[in-house]
This record gives sequence, C-alpha cells and structure tokens, in this order.
Amino acid sequence: MPVAEAVAVGQELPSLAKELSQRRIDVYSGVRPRSIHTDEAWAHQKGFRTTLAQGMMSTAYVSEMMTRLLGAGFVKGGTLSMAFIKPVYAGDRLTVHGVVKEARPEGAGTRVVVEVWCQNQHGEKTAVGTASGLAPSA
Amino acid sequence: MSQFPKLTYDALTVGEEFVSDPHLVTPEDVEAYAFAVDDHHPWFSGPSPFGEPVAHPTLMANQALHLRHGKYIVHAGLHAKMEFNFLEPVRPGMRVRSRGRVIDKYERRGRQYMVTEYVTEDEGGTALVRGQFTQMLIPEGTRHAGR
Repeated sequence: MPVAEAVAVGQELPSLAKELSQRRIDVYSGVRPRSIHTDEAWAHQKGFRTTLAQGMMSTAYVSEMMTRLLGAGFVKGGTLSMAFIKPVYAGDRLTVHGVVKEARPEGAGTRVVVEVWCQNQHGEKTAVGTASGLAPSA
Repeated sequence: MSQFPKLTYDALTVGEEFVSDPHLVTPEDVEAYAFAVDDHHPWFSGPSPFGEPVAHPTLMANQALHLRHGKYIVHAGLHAKMEFNFLEPVRPGMRVRSRGRVIDKYERRGRQYMVTEYVTEDEGGTALVRGQFTQMLIPEGTRHAGR
C-alpha cells in the first residue's frame, strides 16, 4: 500500500479504460422492460439514441482507481462525490482520470483528495467529481 | 397490500422515508458486479486487509438508488449526482438494507429533481455506507433531450 509520503499533489494517477458493452450494462442494471438501460426501444421513446449505462458504473470505475491508489484506506474511510454531466451509451469507451489535489493530515494518516473525471471516446467529459481516502504515514 | 402510486414531482414529499428489503450479499453478487464493472481485485474473492474477502465499495449503491421503487411506480429518471462515504467494508454473508429520506426537491431549467440521503446498514444496524444522491424525474409522456 502506498504511504502518504509517496503521494504528491499534482500527481496524475494511471488512467483506466472501460468498454461499456450492453452485456455489462445488463448485468449491472438487471434486464427489465421499460428501462432506459436495457430496453433499446424504450430508450428511443425517452429521447436517447440507444440504451444508457447507469451513471453509477462510473463511480465504480473511480472506486477501482482509488482502491488501487490507497487500498484499505479507500475501502474504509473513503469518500466519493460525482456529478453525471453527459449520458454514457452502450458501446462507449470511457477513460477514467484522476489528479491528486490535496493531502492533509487526518488522524494518524493523511487524507488524499483526488479530482476525478470520466471521458468518452469523443473526448467529452461524462462525469466529474472528487474522491478521497486515507493513506497511512510511514 | 401496499399501493404503488406513480411517482410525480407533486406526489413527492420532502421528509418522506424509504426502506429496502434486506439483501444477503453473496459471493455470486460480488462476482457478477466484478464482471459488470470489469474490476477483479483479489480482495473481492480472497483474503483482504480486513481478513475475509470484501465487496466492491459501491456494490450496494443500486439498493439505495432503487429505494423509491419500493413505494412508487417510477416512469423514468436519470441519475444526476451521487455521494458516498465508505464507513465499513461490505462483505459477503452480510444481510444489508438501505434506508433513505427525501431531503429536497427542486425544479431547474424546466427539469424536476429529488435529493435523497441514505444509509446502508448491516443486520446489526452498523452503518456501512452513507451518502446522498440526486435523481432527475422524466415525467410520463415526455422525452429527455439526451442525444
């Protein structure tokens, strides 16, 4: 697990790439009729070009990135706040990004705050927010 | 028998509460979630710093997000914002339930939103995850210009 001293403000985290297949969306959301996530005809009726991934899938991707960075200090003691600003469609490819914005003392460790965002294959941001977790001091 | 009215902005009351049924978290839940989000961290199926395997921190988010479905027929909606505070790990074998309370509703740029605060607890009442989320209502007979 990385220690606080190894995390620097301004540090860019390794990005994650995620393919949003309909099959993964089906498993995430559960297949139901009259669902904008799994019923393409219903999604069209509601004004979307095809089915959408749940915004929550993007929070799971950020959770993965933060767990890779902080390990147990994210699983217990982590925070995550995201706004979903653009639909993510079945077939999209998302890239998940993070940059360390702050590291401040908290208890016996350091709270590491990361600016996070997801971007689709067209370079458009689909979700933005912040996440944090606790890194132990050396 | 419970009545399930249609969810409308007018029917929704700030302060109203929701509660889910308890759900037994199984290894199969964790495995399915790992496939869905393509995250197969070894802690989800083997030893972790917490001893036994843990679930993805966001595993039970849909239980919270679907709270309103236990009381209303929901025509359609979009998720606008989500906040989590991960207090304790969710583990396979736990029976978890989520409780929620509507803390705000508002209209902005012709769209209707509801804000719910929630907590997901184990069977002993220990809070595992707390947070809040904002959902946009898509009224019946309307389309969302989401292209």
